[in-house]
Amino acid sequence: MGAGIASGQALSPSVAATLDVLAAEIELAGARCIFLDRVIGEVMDRLTDDDRERMLQGLHGVDLLAQHLTSLSAFTRTMSLAAPADLTLPVDAAIAEITLGALAERMTAGLGGSEDDEADDADSGDVDMF
Amino acid sequence: MQFDGRSTKVLVVDNDRTTLEMVQIRLDVAGFQAFGARSAQAALEVLGNSRFDAIILERDLPGIDGMAFLEAMKHLQDRRPVPVLLVGRALAADDVRKAVGLGVRDCLAKPFSGAAVLERLGRMLRKTAGAPAAAGAQRGVVYLSA
Repeated sequence: MGAGIASGQALSPSVAATLDVLAAEIELAGARCIFLDRVIGEVMDRLTDDDRERMLQGLHGVDLLAQHLTSLSAFTRTMSLAAPADLTLPVDAAIAEITLGALAERMTAGLGGSEDDEADDADSGDVDMF
Repeated sequence: MQFDGRSTKVLVVDNDRTTLEMVQIRLDVAGFQAFGARSAQAALEVLGNSRFDAIILERDLPGIDGMAFLEAMKHLQDRRPVPVLLVGRALAADDVRKAVGLGVRDCLAKPFSGAAVLERLGRMLRKTAGAPAAAGAQRGVVYLSA
């Protein structure tokens, strides 16, 4: 089931742009893993030895996942630079497969669709501190 | 979130939510104090009230674009120059020349990795005389090879 992102007209961005948007999303997923890796590292300092051993396996998995994602992002980014600019593909069906609403909205906007105005209004003028 | 000891404040100005969040996370994990703004107008407002050690600026912003933002920054009173890393797609040589004339210290073409942004930011801060060194670089937690 898709996220239900309405689109006024069919989106047919270039393959290069599509790979570019995909690379950026994978890079963001990798960044979130790196953040999670740090949080787990901080939590580990407060655990007992037994729990720390178990958590270490999880930490290793998150570290591998971060490397996996950043590598895939690099691959996709490089492919986007190599893809011909005049080759286009319809992406609406693929976007409809994305079940995470925020991700579908970002990708739709990145691929030339309209951005969610309500989300924009909520953000407009804000300066976010991470 | 940890902010203790985070002396290096970086403002990220980018309309693209994915890039903005990714860069903010990478900066945070690397030990910087990261702020994000989705428009030049929002960035100018915060610059009027706070000091930053560096700015990562997207050239193609809706409304006031990156170049106009750089011009507007000049008119902020009583401000020391803030090093700017300009990012954007298809940055032409003319864009780079113009940007450097407006105070930009370095440019990075999109699409980029989080590691590339951290590397360029760290380099720019090290080269900036009198600016605090990159906190992350000092602590050795910048993910250059991730």
